[in-house]
Order: sequence, then structure tokens, then C-alpha cells
Amino acid sequence: MSGAAYAGAAARPAAPGRRAGGAGRIAARLRAGIATLLLPLLVPAALLLLWSVASDRGWLPAQILPAPGLVRDTLLDLWRSSDLTRDAGISLGRVAQGFALGGALGLLLGAAMGLSRTAEDYLKPLLTALAQVPTIGWVPLLMLPLGIGETLKVAIIAKAALVPVVLNTLAGIRAVPPALFEVAAVFRYTRAQLLGRVLLPAAVPPLFAGLRLGLTNAWKALVAVELLASSEGLGYQLVWGRQMMQMDVVIAAMVVIAAFGLLLDAGLGRVERRLQRWRVAA
Amino acid sequence: MSAPGDVAARGRVELRGVGKRFRVDGRELTVLDGIDLVIEPGEFVTILGASGCGKSTLLRLLAGLEHPDAGEVRHDGRAIAGTGLERGLVFQEPRLFPWLTVAENVAAALLNAPLDADAKRRAVAGHIAMVGLGGFERAYPHQLSGGMAQRVAIARGLVNRPGLLLLDEPFGALDAFTREQLQDELRALQAREGFTTVLVTHDVEEALYLGDRVVVMSPRPGRIRAVIAVPLGQPRDRADELLGRLHHAARAALRDTLPLAA
Ligand SMILES: Nc1ncnc2c1ncn2[C@@H]1O[C@H](COP(=O)(O)OP(=O)(O)OP(=O)(O)O)[C@@H](O)[C@H]1O
Ligand SMILES: [Mg+2]
Repeated sequence: MSGAAYAGAAARPAAPGRRAGGAGRIAARLRAGIATLLLPLLVPAALLLLWSVASDRGWLPAQILPAPGLVRDTLLDLWRSSDLTRDAGISLGRVAQGFALGGALGLLLGAAMGLSRTAEDYLKPLLTALAQVPTIGWVPLLMLPLGIGETLKVAIIAKAALVPVVLNTLAGIRAVPPALFEVAAVFRYTRAQLLGRVLLPAAVPPLFAGLRLGLTNAWKALVAVELLASSEGLGYQLVWGRQMMQMDVVIAAMVVIAAFGLLLDAGLGRVERRLQRWRVAA
Repeated sequence: MSAPGDVAARGRVELRGVGKRFRVDGRELTVLDGIDLVIEPGEFVTILGASGCGKSTLLRLLAGLEHPDAGEVRHDGRAIAGTGLERGLVFQEPRLFPWLTVAENVAAALLNAPLDADAKRRAVAGHIAMVGLGGFERAYPHQLSGGMAQRVAIARGLVNRPGLLLLDEPFGALDAFTREQLQDELRALQAREGFTTVLVTHDVEEALYLGDRVVVMSPRPGRIRAVIAVPLGQPRDRADELLGRLHHAARAALRDTLPLAA
């Protein structure tokens, strides 16, 4: 963070050395950017190497551990035959629906509980108890009214996303310093203004922690429900691959699931950082 | 910086037998006791007292953030039941919204003000310039020094131009030069526009230099020990002989309030 960025030369004369060498700064930025891109790849690359050595030397039978090259070819095949894109699209759609539902409901419930002790008294014990039952534990019960179709899957994913979102939203709103409420009171903020201009911005960090956790949970739940009851989707590919003893398909599906999870989490992270420019000095 | 026209006519404050207690650790602590004070419209009153004698509590009562346990607090004849835009408070700490820039923090005070967007923008810019932070409009609070943050808080408290302005040690975190400059700015503004002002300080010189009257408080429980009138107009000369003489009187009154003096 450089003071000159906002202060302007008049308010704070920049040190001569600081302004000079724009090219040097760009080079430094570039180096830093490459480093942040490459560093996280180091460990995966090492594992990949280990994997290829292991399959080369035949440490494990090929049926159990297929060669990386085979997995890559399978991935490409699946991609070309558009099996993979179709399955991925279906899975993504389920996660999107479930996460939107669970996330929205979670934000609503969390905010209601954060704003009203009464709401918290009514809902918190129930939610805590429900949260203790693992997501998959809900499947048998929900199967009766919802069947084993899309509704069940979306409901399970929504439930998985809901719990961390509710709890983090509640905690986030509770952690807002009362001193800031007093400022809002002095300026006669309405309840809506208090919510939108004080509570929400102050609660952004825990709120996003909850959303990201919720999204991760949603993916986990997706794979679980698709494993249990589905004839399409990435989770189904996993089951199918295992039944056919095609570990390359299994691993390919896993790679796609992991990649999607990573991408979505990174997307949320971006939004979060944008909303928190006031923390990371621009 | 335009003044709402009829502000000067308003801003009368009455405190009658005001008492305030807090429960601390299961015990009742009397923080304010038998406070009687009438502040006339347009008057500048400073409140002087040792740490913990209830100065902030008194301001919070006037702001409507606390309610008295005894007696009554009135503003323009009406009992103060809560906060209101006609009363502005600059807290002892800056209390800025960390996710808003300097300009946005000042503008936050105008959210419910009956001004159009253009007037708001001008008021914000004018007050940021007044506290000497021109060029820092887009900085975030964590990028400011303590004194700069406090100046933003002062701008935010003034921008609304309330009929009754309450300031809790507003210049405490500032260097001597900036402090004197802002004291003069505030006093000139107040003389020009005539809003009633109550300023808390523990600096004897500041209390005398700014106040039409100086209220000296004694601690545990907080009571009014003395009220010293400063019969000088504005602007004042910091080296004025009368200020020097009153300084002795104020210090004596303050010293008497301290338990160690007995
Ligand atoms: N909300 C509260 N709960 C309990 N005690 C409080 C509360 N607010 C203030 N007090 C007590 O009231 C007394 C006066 O506090 P206050 O903040 O008004 O003092 P002050 O004169 O402003 O002191 P300083 O000059 O240090 O700011 C203190 O003993 C403090 O502990
Ligand atoms: Mg105080």
C-alpha cells in the first residue's frame, strides 16, 4: 500500500526513489504473480511425478492405479464424447440449485437469528441439533416424501450448504462492535439502513467464510447423493467407473469435481476480496 | 458550508437533578449525582474533570444514548428519549466504519439529512477540507493515523450541523499545532452559526479558551464542583491575562476534586 496512491503529491510528497522505475515495479509484480501461480502447483507436481513413477515401475496393479497418461486420455475421451461435459453440467446445476437455496435460506435464518434474540431462542437449538445429523443421514427420511429424483438431491445439497451459512452469519452479526450501532443510532439509521450499511458490511468476513464452507459442503453432498441415487452426474461417473473397474474413469471424474470445487471457491474468494477492499489496502 | 437558518434560535439544554448509576460487578456505582445545569441556546460550554468522573456519561445522556435514573434531561423543552439528528455526538474514539473511505464516512452522517445529493457532496468536501484532510477522501480508516481518524470523526460530527453539538475530548489525539488550529476552526464556526456546543476535555487551557462557561466536575460520584464563566468574546487571545487568572481558579477547583488533595 503506497500512500501516494490516494494522497496525491501535494498532501504527501512521494520519495523520489518510489516513483521512479515503473518498469522495475512491473517486473517485480510479474515475478510475484508468477510465484503465486506456481507455488501452489509444486506439491501437486511432485505427487504427479510420484504417481507416474509408481505406475511405471508397477508398484500397484494397473487396475488399481492407472497411469497418469491413461487418465489424461480418458479425460480427453470423455470430454470429446461430451459425456463429461453433460455429467458436469448436470452436477453443476444440482449444486447451483442446492447452494442457492441453502445459502439464501441460511443467510436469511442467520440474519434473523442475529438480529432477534427471540428468533435465536426459537431456532438455534433446533438448528444445532439438525446440524449434528450428517447430511447423508437425511436421505432415508427425505426419500419418502421427495422420492429419489432431483428434488431429493437439491434438498440434500441445500441442507449441507445451509448449516455453515446459518451459523457463520449468526456469529458474524453478533460480533459487530456495539460501538458502531451507537454511531448508526446517532445518525438515526433505520433498521434497513442499519442492516445494509452497518451489519452486513461488518459481517462480510464471517459471512463469506460461511458461504465458502457451504459451497464445499454442497459439493461433498452432491457426490454423496449421486453415488446413492442417480444415473447421471459426476458422482454417477464415479460409481459407474468403480463398478466397471475403470479406475481411470473414477480418477477423471474426481479430477473434474476437484477442479470445479477449486474454481467455485476461488470465484467466491474473488467476490469476497472485492467486498473487502477496505482491508487489503488498494 | 451553509447554515440551516433557524439553528441559532434552538439548542437550549436543561439538566435537573440528573443521576445515573451503573451496575458493575453486581454493585451499584453512582456515576452522576444531582447534576443541575442549564445551557442557553448558542452557548459554548466546556466540561472539565478528571478521568472517570462521568463526563462521557453526561454527553451520552445528552445524546440520548443513555437514560437518566433520576431527574430529567431536556433539549428545547422536550425530554430526551433517544438519539436525534438535532443532536450530534463526536465520540471519544473515532468510531469510523472501517469499510468506508474518509469521504464515505463523513457522508454516512448525512444519510438521513434533508439535503439533495449535490449539497451533501459539497458539505462533505467542505468539512474534509476544514479538518485538513483534503487529498485523503478515498483513504480507508486503517490507512490513517490516530489523529487523522479523529479529524474525520470531527468532520462527520459537524457535517450535519446539529442544533446541539456534543464533543467528547475531540482534540485529545492531536498534536499541539493541529489542536489549536481545529479549536479555532470550531470556535469560529460556532460563533458564526450559533449552534449550542458542549465539549468535554481534561485540558484546563482548552476548556477556558473555548468555553463561555467551564463546568468543573468532581468524581465518585460525578457532581458539578464549580462553574466558571469566561467573560470574553471571540476570537480570543490565548495569552489573555484573564485566561491566566481563571486558569488558577480552574486548577484549584479541579485539584479540590481529587481524593489525593484532602
Ligand atoms: N456502560 C457502563 N457500564 C458500567 N459502568 C460504566 C459504563 N459507562 C461508564 N461506566 C463507569 O462510569 C464511570 C464514568 O465513566 P465515563 O466514561 O463517563 O468517565 P469520563 O469522565 O468520560 O472518563 P475519561 O476522561 O477517562 O473518558 C466510570 O467509573 C466507568 O467505569
Ligand atoms: Mg470519557
